[in-house]
Amino acid sequence: MGIFKKLGWYFKQEKKRYIIGVLALVATALVNLIPPRVIGILADLFDQGHLTGSAAWWWIGTLLTAGILQYLFRFAWRNMIWGGAAKLEKQLRSRLFWHFMQMDDTFFQRHRTGDLMAHATNDLNAVQNVAGAGILTFADSIITGGSTLIAMMIFVDWRLTLVAIIPLPLLAVAARRLGMKLHAAFSESQAAFSRLNDKTQESVSGIKVIKTFGQDKEDVADFNRIVDRTININKRVNRIDSLFDPVTSIIIGATYVIAIIYGGTLVNAGTITIGSLISFVAYVNALVWPMFAIGRLFNVIERGNASYDRVHELLQEKSEVVNKPHALTTLSHSNIDYALDSFTYPGSDKVTLQDIHFDLPEGHQLGIVGRVGAGKTTIIKLLLREFDHYDGVIKIGGRDIRDYTLEALHNAIGYVPQDNFLFSTDVRNNIRFSAYDKDQPAVEAAAKTSAIHDDILQFADQYDTLVGEKGVSLSGGQKQRLSIARAVITEPDILIMDDALSAVDAKTEEQILEGLQADRQDKTTIIVAQRLSSVMHADEILVVDDGRITERGTHDQLLADNGWYAEMWSEQQLTQSLERSDA
Amino acid sequence: MAAKNPYESAWNQHLPVKEQMKITGRLLSFARYYKKQFVGAIIMSFALAIINIWLPRVIQQFMNGALAKHNATTAVILGVGLVYALGTIVKALVQFCSNFFFSMGAERALEDVRRQLFTKLHTLGMRYFDLTPAGSVVSRVTNDTMTLGDFWNVFMSLLVGIFSIVTALVAMYVNNKTASWIVAAFIPVLLVATWFYNRYSSKVYRHMRSKLSELNAKLNESIEGVSIIQNFEQQKRVDREFEDVNNDYLDTRRAMIKTNSLLLSSFLNLVYVFALTAVLIHFGIMAQTAVVAAGTVYVFSTYIQSFFNPLGNLMDQLQFFQDGVVAGSRIFRILDNNELAPQQNPGANAVVREGKVEFRHVSFSYDGENEVLHDISFVVQPGETIGLVGHTGSGKSSIINVMMRFYEFYHGQILIDDRDIRDYPIEELRKKLGLVLQDSFLFYGDIAFNIRLFNDKITDDEVKKAAQFVQADSFIEKLPNTYHARVIEGGAQFSSGQRQLISFARTVAADPKILVLDEATANIDTETESLIQDGLRKLRQGRTTIAIAHRLSTIRDASQILVLDKGRIVEAGTHDELIAQKGKYYDMYRLQMGEKVEE
Repeated sequence: MGIFKKLGWYFKQEKKRYIIGVLALVATALVNLIPPRVIGILADLFDQGHLTGSAAWWWIGTLLTAGILQYLFRFAWRNMIWGGAAKLEKQLRSRLFWHFMQMDDTFFQRHRTGDLMAHATNDLNAVQNVAGAGILTFADSIITGGSTLIAMMIFVDWRLTLVAIIPLPLLAVAARRLGMKLHAAFSESQAAFSRLNDKTQESVSGIKVIKTFGQDKEDVADFNRIVDRTININKRVNRIDSLFDPVTSIIIGATYVIAIIYGGTLVNAGTITIGSLISFVAYVNALVWPMFAIGRLFNVIERGNASYDRVHELLQEKSEVVNKPHALTTLSHSNIDYALDSFTYPGSDKVTLQDIHFDLPEGHQLGIVGRVGAGKTTIIKLLLREFDHYDGVIKIGGRDIRDYTLEALHNAIGYVPQDNFLFSTDVRNNIRFSAYDKDQPAVEAAAKTSAIHDDILQFADQYDTLVGEKGVSLSGGQKQRLSIARAVITEPDILIMDDALSAVDAKTEEQILEGLQADRQDKTTIIVAQRLSSVMHADEILVVDDGRITERGTHDQLLADNGWYAEMWSEQQLTQSLERSDA
Repeated sequence: MAAKNPYESAWNQHLPVKEQMKITGRLLSFARYYKKQFVGAIIMSFALAIINIWLPRVIQQFMNGALAKHNATTAVILGVGLVYALGTIVKALVQFCSNFFFSMGAERALEDVRRQLFTKLHTLGMRYFDLTPAGSVVSRVTNDTMTLGDFWNVFMSLLVGIFSIVTALVAMYVNNKTASWIVAAFIPVLLVATWFYNRYSSKVYRHMRSKLSELNAKLNESIEGVSIIQNFEQQKRVDREFEDVNNDYLDTRRAMIKTNSLLLSSFLNLVYVFALTAVLIHFGIMAQTAVVAAGTVYVFSTYIQSFFNPLGNLMDQLQFFQDGVVAGSRIFRILDNNELAPQQNPGANAVVREGKVEFRHVSFSYDGENEVLHDISFVVQPGETIGLVGHTGSGKSSIINVMMRFYEFYHGQILIDDRDIRDYPIEELRKKLGLVLQDSFLFYGDIAFNIRLFNDKITDDEVKKAAQFVQADSFIEKLPNTYHARVIEGGAQFSSGQRQLISFARTVAADPKILVLDEATANIDTETESLIQDGLRKLRQGRTTIAIAHRLSTIRDASQILVLDKGRIVEAGTHDELIAQKGKYYDMYRLQMGEKVEE
C-alpha cells in the first residue's frame, strides 16, 4: 500500500477529482444493491399471482431509476478516476522529459536511450495504473464487496451468506497467483519478442551482406528457428491466461452449489422465500468482480510500486555539470587558455587525457589530429563542459569556464559534433536550430558557407524538405554539411568542428575551409580531423596520442620535426614522390 | 513497443471501407492454415453458450418444482447441487479449451505472417531498403504482426456474441414467447449503439494513437539528440514543444475515456435494465391474471444478462479491429511489394570459370527518371584489376550495384565470361562474386560465425586460414575466446579496422572468382591501416577485381582506371597515362597528396 502514500502528493493535488470519483464509486456501489433485491421481491410477488395494488409497479419504477442512476454514477467515476490516471502519467512524463534535458553525459552513458524510453512508457504506465485501476479496485473491493455482503445478510439470510461466501476468498488467491505466474511467463515472452526483434533488425541492417553471400535461405531458416522457440514460450503464457476463466467459473460454481443446497434447504423449511434466494444468487454475482479485484490489486500495486521507485530514482539523479551560484553570463573575449593536467572518465580507472596545455588567442585556428581513440574528442568535451571534474583549469576570456553559466558558454560556441545528429523537422529548422528567429537569407548564408545550399535546392521542397524518416534521406556528407550550417548560423565566437569533414570529398572540404576562412577572419576555430589537409593551414596543430600531446607546431614545423605527423604526411606523399622520381 | 515505432503515419490516413473489407478478408485468410485450432475454439465456445443457458435452467426447474411446493427431499436438493457442480466442471473445461485453442491458433497464425514477411523481405530489391528506414521494416515484422492476434479475437468475440444471443433468445422463447420478443426488440438498439460506438470511437482512437506515436518519437529523438540540444541551449524550446504534444495526447486520451464511459459497458448495463424492466412489466401484467413462477423471473434476469454481456466484450475489442486493419495495410504493403530483386533468365545455368567482366553500353537509373549511369562500357580480363574513381555521386557505387544484381538495369549488357549476367543462376553469382563493403557489418554471434556466416561447409580450419591470410589472426588470437569470442550488436567492440579485416576474412573464406571492392572512406588507425592495405592486395591476388578507390594509392597498379563524373566515363587508362593526361584524375591525385608536396 506504500505506493498510495508515495503518490499522496498527486492525490492531494487532485483532491477534488478523487473525492468526487470515490463518492461516485460509493454511490454506484449502493445503487448496485437495489436491482438484485428488487428482482427477488418481484419474483415473490409474481409467484403469488393475482397481482393487485401498485406495489409491483413501484418496485419496477425503482429498478428503472436505479439503472439510470447507475449509468450516471459510473460515467462520473470513470471520467474522474481514469482521467486522473491519464493526467498523472502526463505530469510524470513532463517531469521526466525536463529532467532528461538537464542531465549530463554521465547520465546518458549510464542509461541507454532504449532504457529511458522504457521508463517513460512502461514504468509510467504501471504507475498510472495505480492511480486508475489501483484506486478503483481498492475502493471497489472494499465498498462494493462490503456493502454487498451486508445487503446479503440483511435482505436474505446471514447464515446462508456466511456459508456461501466461503469459496470466494479463493478467487482473490487465484487471481493473485495466476497473475504472478502470468507476469513471469510474460516476461519470458517479452524476451523472446526482443530476440525476434533483434534478429529482424540485424537481418535488415545486414541485408547487403546476406545478399552478397547468397545466404537468404539460411537466414530465413535461422529466423524460423527463433520463431519456433517463441511459439513454445508463448504456449505457456496462453496456457496460464486460459486458466483465468475456468478457475473463476469453478469457484463461483462452488458458491452456487452451496446456495442451491443450503439455500434450497432454507427455502424448503420456509425460512426464506424463493425471491430471496434469487436475490442472493444475484448478489453473489455482484461479488465476483470485487473479489477478483483484490487479487489483481496486489499485482497492480506491486508493479506500480517498483516502477514508481525506478522513475523516482531517475528523477533523483543530479547532473554533475551545473551553474555555480552567481555564475557569469557574458564572456569578455574568447581567448582560450587550456591547462589540463589530467582527466579520467567517471567510472573508469584509465587516465584519458594528461598534460594538455595550449593557448588559443581570439581569431586563431587550432588543429587537433591523431589516431582514433587518442582523446581528441575528449579535449573538446571538456571545453563544452560535458564533464566538470578534472585536474587543471580551462579558461575562456581569462575566466575558468566553470565560472560561466552553461548558457553563456554554449552560446559562445558553435559545435559540429562527430555524429551529425539531425532532427526530424525541415532543412530550414535544422539549420536555424539554435536561432529560430533567423530569416531565410541568414539560413541560406549559413548553407552557402557550408557548401550545402546547392544540394538543398535539388531537394523536392528545398528548404521545406523534411529530414529523416518522413523526408529526404541524406548522405553522410550532406548531414555533416547541414551540421556545419547549424553551427555557423549564429556566427559564434568559437567554432569547433569535431571530425566534421570526414564524409565530404576533398574538393568540398577545400571549399568549406576556404569559406570559413573568409567568414571567420577574426574568430576562433578549432578543427579536429583525421585528414591532415583539414588542419594544414591552422596556426597551431596538436598531435595527440594516447591522451598526451606528442607533437605540436605549424604544418611546416611538424614536417621538420619528422615525427608521426610527418610520417602520416609522407605516407600520403610516398606515391607522389615515387611518381616524381619516375618522371 | 510503441516506443520503437515512430513511423505510424498510417494512423492519420483514413482507409475507405472497401479497402478495410479487403484487408480484413485477407487477414482472416491467414487463419485458415490453423483451421483445426480455430474450428475447435468455435465449437467449444458454442458448447459454452449452451452450458451457460442450461445451468440457470437447472436452478429454474429446481425453484419452480420442488422448492415452490416446499417438498424437496434432501436427496433432491443434493442431486440438484451435484448436477450443478458437474455442469460447472464441464463448463470450466470447455472454457479452458476454447481459450487455449484460440490463443494457440492465433499465435501460430501470426507467427506464420511473420515468417512470410521475413521471407518476402529477402526477395525485395535493394531499392526497397534504400527507401524504407530499417526501424519501420522491423516494426512491420514484429509489432504489426503482434496486433493480429487481437484482430482475430474480435471475430471470435463476434461469434461468441452471436452464439450467446441466439441461445439466450431460444431459451427465452421456450420459456415465454412474448417476453422473448420484447428482449429481441432491443437488438436494433444494440446494433445502432455498436455501429455508433465503432464509428465515433475509432476516430477518437486513431487520433489518440497517432498522438502517442508522435509523443514517443519526440521523446526518443530528444534523448538521442540531447547533447546537441544542450550544446545549442535549446532545452526550453524543445521542452515547450514536447509539452504541447504531451498535452495534445492527454486531450485525446480524455476524449477516449469519455467516449468509453458514455458508450461502453455502462451504456450496455443501462440497456440491460431497460430490457429487464420491459420484461418485468410484461410479467406484472401476466401476474394479474395468473401465476408467474419465481424461477422464470430468475431465469429471465440471467438470460437477459448473457444476452448483453458478450456485446460489451465485443465493443471493448472493436479498437483492435482498427489496430489490425492499420497493421494489416502496412503488412500487405510489404507482401504485395513488387519491387523484387532482379530476376535471372529462366533456366539460367551458366558457370563462371574465367572471371572476365564486361560492361556494354550500360545505362541505369534508380527511379526510372534520373539516369545515374550513362553508356558505361569497359572490359576487365580475368585476374586484372579495374579501378573506379570519382566524386561522391559520380556513379561508382551504382556500377557495383548493377554488377552485384542489387538493382535491375534496362539498357545495355553486363557479360561475365562473355555470357549475359542473367544467364547465371543467382546462387552462382553469389558464390563467384565477392563484395567487400565500405562499412563492414558484423552479425551477432561469434567471430567464426562472422567469417563463415551460415555456410557450414567452411571448416574451423578454413576459417582460421582465411583470418591468417588477411592477418586478422593477430588480434583475434588475443581475444578471450579467440574465434569463439562473442560479437555484440554491430560488432561495436571492434575498431572499424578490425571489423574490416574480419569482413576480408569472410570474403576469403567464400573464395569468389570476381571481387568487387568498395574501399572504406572511414579513417582507420594507422596500425590496422597497413594491415588493411596488405589485406586488400592479398584479396585481389588471382581475382578479377572491380575496385572503388577513395585513396588513389590503392589502385595505382590497376590495369585500368576509370574516372567517372555524373555517371559517365570521362577518363580511362593506367595511372601513368592518366597522370600524363593532366586531366581530372591528375587534379584529384594532386589534391589528395596535398598541394604542399608539389612545391
